[in-house]
Amino acid sequence: MGRWDGRAGQDVLRRVGEASALILISLADGPKHGYALIQDIKELAGVELGPGTLYGALDRLEGLGLIESLPADDRRHPYRITAPGVAALRVHLDSLERVSAAGRLRLQLGGI
Amino acid sequence: MNGARPPRLVGTVLRCYPARWRRRHGDEAEELAALLIGDGTPAGSIALSYLAGAAREWLTPRPGRRLITLACALLLAACSLGASAGLLTSVVPARAASPSQARGRAHCRPASPEPIRPVTPAMGHLRVIAQEAWHGRSC
Repeated sequence: MGRWDGRAGQDVLRRVGEASALILISLADGPKHGYALIQDIKELAGVELGPGTLYGALDRLEGLGLIESLPADDRRHPYRITAPGVAALRVHLDSLERVSAAGRLRLQLGGI
Repeated sequence: MNGARPPRLVGTVLRCYPARWRRRHGDEAEELAALLIGDGTPAGSIALSYLAGAAREWLTPRPGRRLITLACALLLAACSLGASAGLLTSVVPARAASPSQARGRAHCRPASPEPIRPVTPAMGHLRVIAQEAWHGRSC
């Protein structure tokens, strides 16, 4: 998988799946290692990421250049969001907001 | 939590990952499993998650692996071409070396002066097909 070239408006996170988006959201406030990511994502989204899913998503995000691995602290590798990662996360969240707003509006119009 | 060891089941499943992955994540994955088990996550569900991850790792195409596949395909194609060329050259020299070739159509005589002995029955069958194809083209 090639690195994300940061094309404006392209929502790369829609392609890589929910786990990857949640990891980026979790890393947005600072570097974390695997266990801290699982705990944080469980708290913020109520999603329990399996460790196999976690490492697959971390490798994908790192391959895209959206996160980077920091020097190992004991056996743990902390990960940090990169500048392209921040840009991709903003695009994804904007897209989610638009969809969410459209959904709410339609619910109102439908009187549901 | 230094030196935390996961149950044998998780350790076995972690060995299913490619070596490249184990070198990069192996130690941390073991420690993470031990921490999650300590939190009350069943070892079976952790092993299952790692097993699915290992399957994905093997099935996901990687640039290096794609190159190896391409190299194998090229090698196979080259071998097939070589075999075909060898098959044809084993028929053509006999025809080219014949002095009657200049006069033309000499190989079209019903009895061939030099019967071809196949190495294996299948090889002989292929030779007959190639010979017939050549014969049909030039006559």
